[in-house]
Amino acid sequence: MLARRSVLGLFKGVDEAADALDAVRAGGFEQHEYEILTGTPYPEGAFGEEEPKHSLYRYPLIGAACGFIIGLILTAGTQLAFPLVTGGKPILSIPPMSIIMYEGTMLGAIIFTVIGIIIESRLPRLFMGAYDTRITEGYIGLTVTTDAERVGKAEEILTGAGAEDIKRGWEQTDFD
Amino acid sequence: MQEYTYATDKELNQSLLKDVLGMPKWWLGAVSFLALVWLMGLGAYGWELNQGIGVLGVNRPVYWGFLITNFVFWIGISHAGIMVSAILRLTQAEWRRPVTRAAEVLTLFSLLAALSNIMFHVGRPWRLYWVAPYDFERGVWPNIRSPFVWDPSAVGTYLIGSSLFVFIALIPDLAALRDRSTGLPRKFYAMASLGFRGTQSQWKLQAVAGILLSALVLPVFVSVHSIVSWDFAVSIGVEGWHSTIFAPYFIIGAIHSGVSAVAMVMALMVWLWKWDKYITPDHFDAIGRLLIIVATTWFFFFALEWIFALYTLEGPELSLREWQVFRLPMGPLFLTFMITAYFIPVPAWLFKAVRRSPKWMFWTTILVNIGMWLERFLIIVPGLQRRQPFEFEWGSYAPSIVEILLVASTFAFVGMGILIFAKIFPLIPLFDMKEGTRLRDTIRVGRRVVPASIRE
Amino acid sequence: MANEAIHYPLGHAADNPKWTSAEIITDDLLSRREKASKTFWIATSVFGVLLALGVIGMIMRLVDGVSDTAQWGYTAAVLSFMLTTASAAPMVAIAPRVAKGHWRRIVSRPAEIWSVAGLISLLLFIPMLWALPSLEDGRRSMWFYHPGEVYPYSPHLWTTLAIVALVVVGFMLLWVSALPDLAAVRDRSPLGSAVRRRYTWLSRGWIGTSAQWDWQKHRIGILGAFYFLMLITVHFLFSIDFLMTLVPGWIDALYPATHAANALQAGVATVILTMFFLRRFCGYKEIGHDQFWGLGKLMFALSLMWFWFWFSSFNVFWYGKKPNEEAVLELFIKGPYLPIFYLTFITVFIVPMFTMIWNFFRRSVWGPAIISVSVLIGTFFDRVRIYVGAYSVSDQAGNHEGIETIPPTVYPDLADVFIVVGAIGGAIFVYMLATRVFPIINVWEQKELLLYKLHKKYHRTVVLVLGKPE
Repeated sequence: MLARRSVLGLFKGVDEAADALDAVRAGGFEQHEYEILTGTPYPEGAFGEEEPKHSLYRYPLIGAACGFIIGLILTAGTQLAFPLVTGGKPILSIPPMSIIMYEGTMLGAIIFTVIGIIIESRLPRLFMGAYDTRITEGYIGLTVTTDAERVGKAEEILTGAGAEDIKRGWEQTDFD
Repeated sequence: MQEYTYATDKELNQSLLKDVLGMPKWWLGAVSFLALVWLMGLGAYGWELNQGIGVLGVNRPVYWGFLITNFVFWIGISHAGIMVSAILRLTQAEWRRPVTRAAEVLTLFSLLAALSNIMFHVGRPWRLYWVAPYDFERGVWPNIRSPFVWDPSAVGTYLIGSSLFVFIALIPDLAALRDRSTGLPRKFYAMASLGFRGTQSQWKLQAVAGILLSALVLPVFVSVHSIVSWDFAVSIGVEGWHSTIFAPYFIIGAIHSGVSAVAMVMALMVWLWKWDKYITPDHFDAIGRLLIIVATTWFFFFALEWIFALYTLEGPELSLREWQVFRLPMGPLFLTFMITAYFIPVPAWLFKAVRRSPKWMFWTTILVNIGMWLERFLIIVPGLQRRQPFEFEWGSYAPSIVEILLVASTFAFVGMGILIFAKIFPLIPLFDMKEGTRLRDTIRVGRRVVPASIRE
Repeated sequence: MANEAIHYPLGHAADNPKWTSAEIITDDLLSRREKASKTFWIATSVFGVLLALGVIGMIMRLVDGVSDTAQWGYTAAVLSFMLTTASAAPMVAIAPRVAKGHWRRIVSRPAEIWSVAGLISLLLFIPMLWALPSLEDGRRSMWFYHPGEVYPYSPHLWTTLAIVALVVVGFMLLWVSALPDLAAVRDRSPLGSAVRRRYTWLSRGWIGTSAQWDWQKHRIGILGAFYFLMLITVHFLFSIDFLMTLVPGWIDALYPATHAANALQAGVATVILTMFFLRRFCGYKEIGHDQFWGLGKLMFALSLMWFWFWFSSFNVFWYGKKPNEEAVLELFIKGPYLPIFYLTFITVFIVPMFTMIWNFFRRSVWGPAIISVSVLIGTFFDRVRIYVGAYSVSDQAGNHEGIETIPPTVYPDLADVFIVVGAIGGAIFVYMLATRVFPIINVWEQKELLLYKLHKKYHRTVVLVLGKPE
């Protein structure tokens, strides 16, 4: 398998970055090879990028189901195992059980949602690849991650598109 | 929102991160003072652990006093974060942007303060873990029919949910901090931000996460204070407690005191961190108008509770109400509560000049929280005093110095917690503010330029 | 940062690509209503016949006399249903206006017109004043009446005032909000025609000066707030004086608020169903996904709130095991009305809850419409359960301790069926007649939206820009 390298082009404005993205696409790079990096969310499609897809909605459903089942087992199981009648209420009393099962359902949904967000965001990411700290200051980054032999071509395209700066792979350690 | 300030991303980073990356002059002094009060509280708790809960003012029949009042109060304040953050996020209100994180952090520390009150209050805190279903060996399980078992499940869910909510929304700002720091802090922020880079997919997930988590935490927020209210309402033994209205009444009271606390925190953010550029009079105006509606709804529920207490025509209930209003020492407390929780703040908030002033909003909301603390006290203690006909155990209650120090320490803890949080993480969400600048626009209507916002 | 505006079909707030100017909007909307179709008049007549049946049913009931309160359970139930649905529908116009949402513009008039159905509520209310048992028999009253003291017969006085105020404020709100459109109809009508004369009178000299617009904006705000206040008051008073006091031992501080909260849910359901009819059968395709989505989300939240209010009361009663409270639970839930309770629980909570969590369901037109039918059916049966059950034990109202005997299920007789059918049919009848007077879609608000909404090119995409004049 060929080594993957990434290169980042830094742009000041949205239009320049969008034009650069067009050039990268025209250069034969595929969707999974390029990414726009910004320090703040922009309206979807502002760079002409494809709509990001995610399947986050599965996670809360699975989490809720797990939480519900655990809540049911906890409440019903523990009371049946230790049947102590209190206040004249039945051992399996639906109102209190439903309260704890509800909390379990919601907790499961929330925890799984958070796990889903982290996974779908492809985090944690140990090696960030090409990155520049000016992105969080308003600059827009366009990274291309591709085989080592094609990264030169990507760099040429980005330079040609008017990138303010080009960074490769691990060169993100300078700070102002 | 008519007024807003244009700021570049770099300016936003500089002004909102300067006190995270640097040290504000007042910070150490403020935290030291709060830490001192907190430590005094801990010392009082140490004394209590050593001597037993006899050092508290509670006794038969007034088993619950300052500490339980404080518990309910802090649960109430904790509703602020979700109210401001989740509901305003779901309704796409632009004015929420500078205040969501402060509200959420207030929630977190309030919940911890509330839970600490339980720890202070129980006679054998080393057995607190018995509320958890852990004992497989002996098969002794907690009684799930008790509201005291519902409480930890609800408060625990809310605490975990709110913490995760804060963390997820913090990730982009941790990335910004990673980019602006060096050395050990940089390593910490790099780890905490999980390698967030700001791809369009990650931003989309942040947006979806915000909405999804808001929608999930909102029902939890409703259930938490309902369950805490059922600590009182399901009991038939104490006058003034067994009322079906307690769940919504407590929730709306929590929103009232919580949103007031957020307004207080907003004013402090303007004064301490000099963020008047980002938290403008328009923000105070918006929260003031929200407070009028919330306070009036709360008052409606309060009146409904009273009407139905009198509707019962039961001797003990009527005695309780008479005791609460017309007798010392409860009467003056009741009057103070009414005036501070509603009759001073709400008429004041009807005036635009008051709503737009951080100073006036700060002082009126402090009054609200004094009143709401007294409200919880007046719900809990007078009923337990059993001042009813043919009742042979008339009780009285006076807080001990230990209780007073513990209550004060919870306030110090929350203040300290927020200040320490603000030293490590930005209290105003950076990416939210930056997004706000992208989504602002104007529309020309004849000679007038109308502010507008972009919706996707 | 803003790029030039482009001509772009109105997307979100109204799905009509042709609405690009004020003239076009006025012409399009007002020309559609100039002549009602034959189908419209046939449908209106059918509902008129139902109203006549209702009158017959009421006469049959009155012939039996007003002394037996138990016979008036179904009448009270349908009156409550009217107050819960038709009277609450205008809230859909009022509340989002306060929240400054633009999507509500196209549905605010259909919602406001429901206030005219308050006439039916008033008609139903009159015999109830006599059917309500006297306070002399010792039943509880929130007005602290003591037998022997001559105090204004407060339930009758205050509840009447409240309902009359609700209906009057509702009419005023509708009229003030419709003034600019009434003026537009006036201006389109031929000079000297009867229509012109009628609308000249109705529009009261509206010519659209700045002062008039300012006046209208303030009045709508005040009337909206008053309407909300009166709605809550009516629900509060009606659920106590005409319901709770009839059941011995039923002390539920939350129930008036529950009654009002149910009204919000059912009011939204009423408006959704109205929207569906207008879109599907009357050709108003401008009522689009945004409206169904916005109201669908609201109804989902209100369905959850239904459960929360119900459970708050139920849990406190169930847990305490006080005899009077257990008897109340037996009457309304576990006893003769158990099947109706299950039906209500499923239609008002379970069905909305487990369908509206799905995006595809919520974002459709048919999804919220189906759920609103479910909610309306459930709300009706909920009112039947509570009111018929309560009126069946009203003879025990003097006993403050609690219900002693729980009567069996009370089934409706022919008079009850006529009254129920007549009330609902009558409300729709009055609504349809009102749409011949007031344009069904709020024309001036659509024109206003043109000023504050446009699509703009934002770099490589097109975004919607919404102005916030306040």
